[in-house]
Amino acid sequence: MSKLILIFFIMLTFLYAAAPNLAWGILFLLLYISLNITIHLLKQRYIVSLFLLVSVTITLIACVQANPIFILLMPLSILELCQLWTKKTIIPIVFAISPVFYIQQELQAVFLLVAIYTITIFTFEKYNEQKHVKNEQQLDWMRNTNQKLIKQIHENDTYLKQSAYMFRLEERNRISQQIHDDVGHAITGALIQMEASKRMLHVDKEKAEELLQNAIGITQEGIEHIRLTLKNMKPSTEQVGINRLKLIIDEFTAKHDKQTILTYDGDIDQVNAFQWEVIQKNTTEALTNTMKYAENSTQIAVNVIVLNKLVKVEVKDNGAGAERFEKGLGIIGMEERSASMGGQVIVDGTNGFSVTTLLPLQSN
Amino acid sequence: MNILEIKHLTKKFGDFIAVDDMSLTVGEGEIFGFLGSNGAGKSTTINMISGLLRKNNGSIKMLGKETNKHPIFIKKHIGLVPQELAIYEDLTAYENVSFFAGLYGLRGEKLRSRTIEALEFVGLAEKHKSYPKSFSGGMKRRLNIACAIAHQPKLIIMDEPTVGIDPQSRKYILQSVQKLNEMGCTIIYTSHYMEEVEEICTKIAIIDHGKIIADGTKEQLKSLITDSKLIYIDVKDTDHVDIDAIKAIPGVANVTLAENTIQIHTELGANNLNQIISYFIENKIEIRTLDEKEPNLETVFLTLTGRTLRDA
Repeated sequence: MSKLILIFFIMLTFLYAAAPNLAWGILFLLLYISLNITIHLLKQRYIVSLFLLVSVTITLIACVQANPIFILLMPLSILELCQLWTKKTIIPIVFAISPVFYIQQELQAVFLLVAIYTITIFTFEKYNEQKHVKNEQQLDWMRNTNQKLIKQIHENDTYLKQSAYMFRLEERNRISQQIHDDVGHAITGALIQMEASKRMLHVDKEKAEELLQNAIGITQEGIEHIRLTLKNMKPSTEQVGINRLKLIIDEFTAKHDKQTILTYDGDIDQVNAFQWEVIQKNTTEALTNTMKYAENSTQIAVNVIVLNKLVKVEVKDNGAGAERFEKGLGIIGMEERSASMGGQVIVDGTNGFSVTTLLPLQSN
Repeated sequence: MNILEIKHLTKKFGDFIAVDDMSLTVGEGEIFGFLGSNGAGKSTTINMISGLLRKNNGSIKMLGKETNKHPIFIKKHIGLVPQELAIYEDLTAYENVSFFAGLYGLRGEKLRSRTIEALEFVGLAEKHKSYPKSFSGGMKRRLNIACAIAHQPKLIIMDEPTVGIDPQSRKYILQSVQKLNEMGCTIIYTSHYMEEVEEICTKIAIIDHGKIIADGTKEQLKSLITDSKLIYIDVKDTDHVDIDAIKAIPGVANVTLAENTIQIHTELGANNLNQIISYFIENKIEIRTLDEKEPNLETVFLTLTGRTLRDA
């Protein structure tokens, strides 16, 4: 933009001055314009610098051949050229102003003015561009995070739906199994007894009555079984949650040579499926970390406590701990998972190594 | 209105994370307590709020303005009482306060009157000509406070102002904190003395390993752990104790009997101790001892972090 204004200015002065070398002047100008347009199409640094050098040379030739006013185009080309090779701002500025000592006196003032303006505009432009790039990057990053979070929400949703489906499926299997095992057998038994009693009805009345009584007994039992089956319909989430955690820990103990103990306290029913999911993942992560880093530990204690408004899960080993540790992907993952439930993770290495997950309970 | 808003504040020293993605808001007129063990990140946070330390990430807004963009404005409205004494031993008490107030741009008569006010406030007006050399630890601390309040800041930050001083001075300082608050100052108070924080703070953030583990009023914090307290009553004999009658007292959740001790679970804040005691008096049951176990902030901290506040 500033280049265009400059060229326009030069053209005007050139025309007003009614310089003798009009044709040369226009030729140089056109050359300069086409060179500078081409530069924007190029990518390689060396070629760009080459083009810029050529355009500097053209300006120089134009100064000598056509009109000294062409020197006004110099500062910008020098700035652009220097900027390609150095990050410091002072060097290009010095270079851009330096031609002032070599030109005619009457042009010096105008040259200085143009040079300073060019430098100012150029610097601002550069600054804005950097800012723009930075903003763009941040926007990108935010978009990414946003997408990740949306995905996470979606995943949570799917998990909930899936686990609900799993529950239903398990329930259906259990009920059909139970109906087959208890109720089916009872009804079949009762049926046989009743058939027999029908046959005996006219032969041995007493025997028939006894058989019928048996059938009544079996049917009653069957009804009781149905009642029990329906009553046991729901396995409480507590069973699923803490039992799964137990399973994880048992598996871990079986594979590794570390004594791992699970203790729990409080009303475990209050922890929902999501929270169990986080607890299980964090516990697994913490156990893995212990295996990786706390080689000298022999015992790991996993403690789940349900407090009034939050649930606390602590995984602690009896190793040497670590005063300083780098936060790896594992810990960051635990933090992210907990944060998604509004919780916190405390990692402490002062006395053994412990990872504590705190999750707020949903108020009912 | 919020006087201070901190979002995702992070500070690293090498690979050590001193403040880890911390977010909190301090409302106007609060005495906000930072409670945490040594090295939890309290002072680092404060130094970033007051502009003494650069943050790695996040934002700190005071009175709606980003602190690193308006450093002069922020400094005008903050009074910092640092953990280490920041007074000149070879200036008199008056000169010390006057010097610091002068740094904040106070001049002439205003400087003089504010200096005297501040010295009066901390109870050192009579000693204004003395040199801090002759002061006790507590007096030096008080002078330290006077230096920070002479320019009448909106937010006063006190970083462990009661470390290593006599009980009398401590009491004086705690009272003056409350008085400053009544006069309209918002105060951020850090300490690892649980009792102090519990006594004066209207809101508390528990900080550990550079994170805010929990925040809220002390009641809210205690309620995280439990909503009940335990009352143990030792009686001479339990033959005539009617458990159901005690259960009928409002607020009582559960009563258990073990030998001569009656254990009563009761809601926090039910204020029913008088009723419980009068039950025993009315039924002529002799009380031998009575013990009350109420959760305090120390218990909250211990339960949440697994460590005590004094653990280094």
